[in-house]
Amino acid sequence: MYSYILRRLAFGAVTVLGVSIVVFFVLRVLPGDPLVAIFGPEGFTKLTPEARAGYMAQLGLSDPLIVQYFRWVGDILTGSLGHSFFRSESVAEMIERRGPLTAEIAAISVVLSWLVGIPVAIVSALRPNSFGDNISRFISILFLAVPGFWLAMLIVLALLFGFGYRAPLANVTFFTDPLSNLQIVIGPALVLGMGQAAYIARMARSSLLEVVREDYVRTARAKGLNGRVVIALHALPNALLPVITLSGILLGFVLAGSIPVERAFGTPGLGYAMYTAVSERDIFVMQNLVFLYSIVFVLLNILVDLTSAWLDPRIRYR
Amino acid sequence: MSITQPDATLPLARIPAVERSWLLRALRVLRTFARRSPMSAFWGCVAAGIIFMAVAAPALAPRDPTRADFRHMAKPPSELNWFGTDQIGRDTLSRVIYGSRASLTVAAGAVLLGTTFGALWGLACGYFGGRFDIISQRFIEFLQSFPDLILAMAIAMALGVGMGTVIVAIAITRIPFGGRVIRAVVLSLKELSYVEAARGLGASHLRMMARHILPQCVAPYLILATTHLGVAIIIEAALGFLGVGIPPPTPTWGNMLADSLNAGLVPPWWLVLFPGAAITLTVLAFNLLGDGIRDALDPRLRGAV
Repeated sequence: MYSYILRRLAFGAVTVLGVSIVVFFVLRVLPGDPLVAIFGPEGFTKLTPEARAGYMAQLGLSDPLIVQYFRWVGDILTGSLGHSFFRSESVAEMIERRGPLTAEIAAISVVLSWLVGIPVAIVSALRPNSFGDNISRFISILFLAVPGFWLAMLIVLALLFGFGYRAPLANVTFFTDPLSNLQIVIGPALVLGMGQAAYIARMARSSLLEVVREDYVRTARAKGLNGRVVIALHALPNALLPVITLSGILLGFVLAGSIPVERAFGTPGLGYAMYTAVSERDIFVMQNLVFLYSIVFVLLNILVDLTSAWLDPRIRYR
Repeated sequence: MSITQPDATLPLARIPAVERSWLLRALRVLRTFARRSPMSAFWGCVAAGIIFMAVAAPALAPRDPTRADFRHMAKPPSELNWFGTDQIGRDTLSRVIYGSRASLTVAAGAVLLGTTFGALWGLACGYFGGRFDIISQRFIEFLQSFPDLILAMAIAMALGVGMGTVIVAIAITRIPFGGRVIRAVVLSLKELSYVEAARGLGASHLRMMARHILPQCVAPYLILATTHLGVAIIIEAALGFLGVGIPPPTPTWGNMLADSLNAGLVPPWWLVLFPGAAITLTVLAFNLLGDGIRDALDPRLRGAV
């Protein structure tokens, strides 16, 4: 087990390094002038060449790329992460202020997706191709097709017209004001959770149907256990392994999905910050946020892999 | 069986050669498909309808999608404008119809580019193996460490807005999927005896890949491509919604949803409902068609793609 953990962590470190290079390459080396982003195409043409060079030097963009890259790595290691083009707040401060909200949304959505997806899958798998199974399969296929941000907009509209209700727009943590915090968080968490639940229900259903055919399940039935006990204690634990892995992959879906969904709800989380950075073409903020999101995604997936290796010894020896 | 019943082959021989033309053969395949899974056939028709809508947009749209009409601004659905108008009086129905063009072009372009490149790469990885494969797998892993929308956003932002950019950005996020699936298929194919026989006969690498391995990859590729069309459409819409998609005034479903948020404090419901419903219907149609194609061509790939 320890050697597996070490191997996985070493791969993870290489991936993090690779990710940082890809992020840097995409945002710095690809064409697109940051000064056009800051001053706008019109303002940019009015700048003299000297002024342009001055701004570039001030932003540290005129150094060789390799120097810029190592400076950024240094920024990451010291935790300052650089500044936005447009705001005085440093990126690290922004993450500290907005991050908890998005993390909360992600966590609640994952819990919701399991709470909804697994029971639906069990009901489906107990009677495959029955009326209930077909209904739940159609609903999960429908949820795969519905864009989360559209669902979010519909929910906002429905609450507004139906009940005259709008979630508070302030950024409050759970510990200062739990009630308004939950009102902010529950909408995005619900939308993202349902999107994941659809994937989880599909995967858990097919995984359960496969496990139910195995010999040991037949043995359990043959010794006279009732159907529910067989499913809950014998079939389900084994059927859930691929679902755990899927849930890790779906975290990418949550992290990315939180950007348009937070925009649609007007939630003041990190996703919204990413949206602002994109619409302002703010390269420094983008670079750090994209890196942060990918690192979180990679680390959580390592955690998921370790969990499944812990649950299933066969994985460790592969 | 054919030895005991030699007559069984006779009716086939009596069919004139003309009747076995590719068109009829295609029709027959489609008929069998429809009979086996009517649901998928239905959604296939919906998908075909949406494609037709995109191609025939100028004939179908009641008005010019970019023409503002200041006498009818932000009007709810009426007899004049079935889907209402936006804040500068553009007809929502026409914009939804024209929006299908952008969505389908981007999705088809991204899948053709990304999935195909990924598939060919996966083919090479699986076939050659060794160091090339190991390095390629690491690279694919880097690409997969980004949630796909975030990678597409970063690339689209770095390259600057435009349809070509959006296609490239989404295509890059599709590469790992094509690579992984096709590589796995090729790895299992390589062990088959007919491939070994071809190698024994002295076939070159290129010939081996093109004549013996590639044809077996067509089914998984088709399934993968149809499924990813839906994903590409959703990513395109999200990019448009976040303002890094195809720039206005080109009507796209994502742009329309983003516009509706700028229409005032409260977005009018018709500006939200119709473009989103169009996205959902299109993605649903392509996903269910993809499921049907998978079940028809290769049910073993269930769950893999």
